[in-house]
Amino acid sequence: MKTVFTIAKKEYELALRSISTYIVYILFLVIIGLIFSNMVFKIARAELRFLFDIMHIIFLFYIPAITMGSIAKERQTGTFELLSTLPIKLSSIVWGKILSALLQIITIIILSLVFFGIIIVFGEGIDYGAIICGYIGLILAGLAYASIGVFASSFPSNQILAFVLALLISAIFYLLKFILPLLPFGLVPIVQYFSFDYHLSSFLKGVIDTRDILFFLAITVIFALLAQFNLQSKNLMQER
Amino acid sequence: MIKIDKLSRNFGDIKAVDEISFCIQDKEIVGFLGPNGAGKTTTLRMIVGYLQPASGNIEIDGESIFTDPLKACRQIGYLPEQNPLYDEMTVVELLAYFAALRKLKRDYFRERLNFVVKNCGLKEVLNQRIGTLSKGYRQRTGLAQAILHDPKILLLDEPTSGLDPNQIIEIRELIRELGKEKMVLLSSHIMQEVQALCDRVVIINKGKIIVDDTIENLPNYLNRSTMLILEVQGENIDFSDFTAKYPFVELKILSRDETSCKISVYETSGRLMSSSTTEQNSSKISVNEPSGRLMSSSTTEQNSSKISVNEPSGRLMSSSTTEQNSSKISVNEPSGRLMSSSTTEQNSSKIGVNEPSEFDLRKEISSFIRDKGWLILEFSTSKMSLESIFHELTIENYYESEIEEKLPSEQEFMEEEHTKPEEVNSIKEEQ
Repeated sequence: MKTVFTIAKKEYELALRSISTYIVYILFLVIIGLIFSNMVFKIARAELRFLFDIMHIIFLFYIPAITMGSIAKERQTGTFELLSTLPIKLSSIVWGKILSALLQIITIIILSLVFFGIIIVFGEGIDYGAIICGYIGLILAGLAYASIGVFASSFPSNQILAFVLALLISAIFYLLKFILPLLPFGLVPIVQYFSFDYHLSSFLKGVIDTRDILFFLAITVIFALLAQFNLQSKNLMQER
Repeated sequence: MIKIDKLSRNFGDIKAVDEISFCIQDKEIVGFLGPNGAGKTTTLRMIVGYLQPASGNIEIDGESIFTDPLKACRQIGYLPEQNPLYDEMTVVELLAYFAALRKLKRDYFRERLNFVVKNCGLKEVLNQRIGTLSKGYRQRTGLAQAILHDPKILLLDEPTSGLDPNQIIEIRELIRELGKEKMVLLSSHIMQEVQALCDRVVIINKGKIIVDDTIENLPNYLNRSTMLILEVQGENIDFSDFTAKYPFVELKILSRDETSCKISVYETSGRLMSSSTTEQNSSKISVNEPSGRLMSSSTTEQNSSKISVNEPSGRLMSSSTTEQNSSKISVNEPSGRLMSSSTTEQNSSKIGVNEPSEFDLRKEISSFIRDKGWLILEFSTSKMSLESIFHELTIENYYESEIEEKLPSEQEFMEEEHTKPEEVNSIKEEQ
């Protein structure tokens, strides 16, 4: 467990040292800021629910971008070889990477609290509970996406490929809600269950449902295990 | 002690490592040599646990590394070939990170950090980012990382590549120091380094071990271990009697005229290789017989001759080497020449080494010439350097397998090669 934190801490610190991280942060804030200001000044509606949707879409690209290098880059540069000679478990590496991605997601969410502040200043009748729940939901969804990203990164030693793969898998989970109307009636509940939006929507309403939390956690664990399994099957490390 | 037992690994159809077995004793520096693509790095990676072997076992102190990989990892320090490091981190951060992952205690880490910084000469660059380091410093950082946790086993894949001569000397000194209390497996292309550092050498080629012996014994693995060049003056110079007496001696006429002849002579005592596959079987059988029986009557003659001509053995070779040479000859004699890299054979030849039977080509040939009443104008021996030994061992194998695999129709060509020595002899007989 301590190893997981050590790895996550190092990954996070290194990420904060790179300029590209800040560029992404600025881009993120600018995009959300544009949409948010549009909403506030043109439609005169200061609400965060719409903002959460936007953030969700941005996560779809942002999280694969921060996780694409997690394992692929280590393998590309060869540091994975070094890491594998250390007395650490394979799962620690995978979870360390996921945790560091989660820390970055939380950082970006904290940055977006600026808009929350604006709403507090200008808004009326704010439903704090719903907003806090929304943020919790976003973090959970981010965790699941991060796990998918790390899994995708464990496949190729090419970062771009890892990004595309992560985006693809994440997009499937995101886009499920759009194909719902096209499906036969019997399939709808099953497919709907796998849609991230479906589980997020209850968070946005201010309801924290254990089932939703479990769903995101289950997705996270499944993809983490898949990543671990994938690395093992490649004989990259002994089964530990 | 590390025991590697019939370790194999394939990459697709390519057998990168093919049933290799060897041991590393405590407090021993073993050189691990081989041409590019021979399987050195693959073997190291398997020992370290980065690659899973297809078959075989690796034991550290009698315990398989697969039963408790984490425990095995704790005992190993590894410097990979490309020396991958996190470029964004500073040297001290990297070392701290690895210490944390290895769960070193804070005080212990500080102590080790001092040791490592002092011995690897990292003081000036401690707070520099690794990406900005020169290759030499980078290599030293890699080495520092490998020895940080004071491992029992050190696996170094080309540790001195990219270092300047001063640094090479320092690092060599450090490795030698470390080798006093650790097992070190040193993979390198630099022969002087191996010669300077290692007690024992394992040469691997095409995934197979072709030599596993001490450096002093290496020349014995060649077809032609001792080479003599001599110029003889006299009437009717003819060495066919000599070659008939010692069929394992090859002569090559470099130049000749009416009264003088310049020849090179070498023993074809090489245990490991010959160009002939048909002969392999017979030689193996003969080797596996008790070595006492192998000695033919000529051995006794050799003994007597050694007694009669005493002591000129110190010139270019140590006497121990010559003894070993000759012992090998006694083992191989009946079969003529010999080869194959099987370990059993190596063992049996080692038995031969322990049992000195004296044959010294120089003594034999000079007494032969004396008996004939010729004059020796020039007499020189040439001993092969480790580099040329390595070259010959690996290239020959390469050449052979090349022919076997790719050009099966060229058997005639091979046969031609085999007959060469005989041709030489017959030429002489004609004369």
